[in-house]
Amino acid sequence: MDFVIDTHALTRRYGEAIVAVDSLDLRVRRGEVYGFLGPNGAGKTTTLRMLLGLVRPTSGSATVLGEPPGAPAALRRIGAMVEAPAFYPYLSGRDNLRVLARRGGVREDRIARVLAQVDLDARAGDRATTYSMGMKQRLGVAAALLKDPEVLILDEPTNGLDPAGMAEMRDFIRSLAQGGRTVLLSSHLMGEVEQMSDRVGVIREGSLVAEGTVDELRGRTGLRVRAEPLPEAIDLVGRLPGVGAITTVDGAFDVAADAAEAPAINRALVEAGIAVSELSPRRASLEDVFLELTR
Amino acid sequence: MTRMISAELLVLRKRAATWILLGLWTLLSVFFAYVIPYALDPEDAVGGLNELLPQSLAGHLTAGFPFFGGVFALMLGVFAIGSEYGWDTLKTLFTQGPGRLRLFTAKLAALGVALVPFVLAPFVAGAVASFVIARIEDAPVHWPSAWLLVRALGATWLILAVWAALGALLGVLTRGTSLAIGVGILYALVIEGLLSAFTDSVGALEPLSSVFLRSNGYSLARALGALPEAISSNGPGSFGGPFVAPGQAVAVLAAFIAGFAAVAGLVLRRRDVT
Repeated sequence: MDFVIDTHALTRRYGEAIVAVDSLDLRVRRGEVYGFLGPNGAGKTTTLRMLLGLVRPTSGSATVLGEPPGAPAALRRIGAMVEAPAFYPYLSGRDNLRVLARRGGVREDRIARVLAQVDLDARAGDRATTYSMGMKQRLGVAAALLKDPEVLILDEPTNGLDPAGMAEMRDFIRSLAQGGRTVLLSSHLMGEVEQMSDRVGVIREGSLVAEGTVDELRGRTGLRVRAEPLPEAIDLVGRLPGVGAITTVDGAFDVAADAAEAPAINRALVEAGIAVSELSPRRASLEDVFLELTR
Repeated sequence: MTRMISAELLVLRKRAATWILLGLWTLLSVFFAYVIPYALDPEDAVGGLNELLPQSLAGHLTAGFPFFGGVFALMLGVFAIGSEYGWDTLKTLFTQGPGRLRLFTAKLAALGVALVPFVLAPFVAGAVASFVIARIEDAPVHWPSAWLLVRALGATWLILAVWAALGALLGVLTRGTSLAIGVGILYALVIEGLLSAFTDSVGALEPLSSVFLRSNGYSLARALGALPEAISSNGPGSFGGPFVAPGQAVAVLAAFIAGFAAVAGLVLRRRDVT
């Protein structure tokens, strides 16, 4: 497997008491959008800073594009936006990108292209200090794209965007990944990660507590049954083969069972004279999983 | 490297603070070197009217650089790097690819280029002022030799460069601008100023004083024709000697530039950007 980002027991402590990142093993495959999910303070940003060489790990190791974090050879192929995008407030958006292009050895004709990509060309001549939060966010993404990078590391890219802007940004990030680019996306917004990511890693108190595709994390499909009388229905379904745990929920009950069991359950209930008003597939949302993992 | 330097020059050139510092420094240097002494009574001024005429331009103006010019250069140096912390742009700077030390070197090189107008502008304005005074007084206009002017420009650039390098170092150490400027001015005014003033009475301070930026800067100014009386009556930037040899002064100032840059570079390279 070709891992673009690979960490082994990556750890960052601040003093003796604070462990920001604790023995993190993170592997991001080439060409995937990896959602790095965790509550505030879980260690997401510290991890991203370590991957970019901004912060040194206390122990453990990491490689990005086969190089140690912060190595110039790797940084030239990485576009990043860590926490809030930062710019020279008195320079225009275009001049801010010009400065970055000259520092990074990027041809300046890329500037117009990335400004158009994030739909900021009309305001590119205005000073960055006059930009709204959403525009700054888009300028941050433009800056990350300037090098036409193989890897994009984006920390909370939809921060400060309105719902329409968030949807636009999600589509945009997905489109970036379609060109074979690898995206490591940190967020505490489940919906965002769910819609954009091929795989998700959940971090809690500096440790990776779960990793997989969204479907894998959500687990087995269940069924919701609404029937009358309810106690008899629960009793009958509980005795059927292929049915797991039953949980009563607000005048109905959830059954741990594969969706293929639905016809058999329905038939058994109807034949027993129980009126079935709902029998629907039921899956845990990523939010449920997230809350359970990070509680 | 050229493109990196041009990036840093763009950052400095488009910043209002750079132009405000340049304008204030030029205005104040001419005001205190020519306007005030001439307006009060040129004959009462140190060195008399001759000091205000074009022939004394090099030495007369150079005397204003080791302290007053130094403070402006210090602020420019602080702004050049300390502001990167305030705006949180250091993380953007260090993820571009060329490596921290190369980026810092480009910043210092741009700072060195940005100091050129800080040297030229007071000399141009001073030349105009001295020429006007000569015309008013109906005095002959004799300009200093080109070689003396070149040496004066080089020496004043070196004096400003050492203060700018100190500013850059303080900006890095304090991760900002306000404290760096405060500490820098405190050093220039209190540490160097007071200790230099006590050199006469406390002999043990003399070796220490000989490595101060102030004493080495004024030693260069003295070698270029600045009058010792003018230097010793230079307000908060006054210096009563002893002066060191110009060669030694150049070496000490150059060593300070290298030292300040090396320490700042080392700290930048090693320290986390949080």
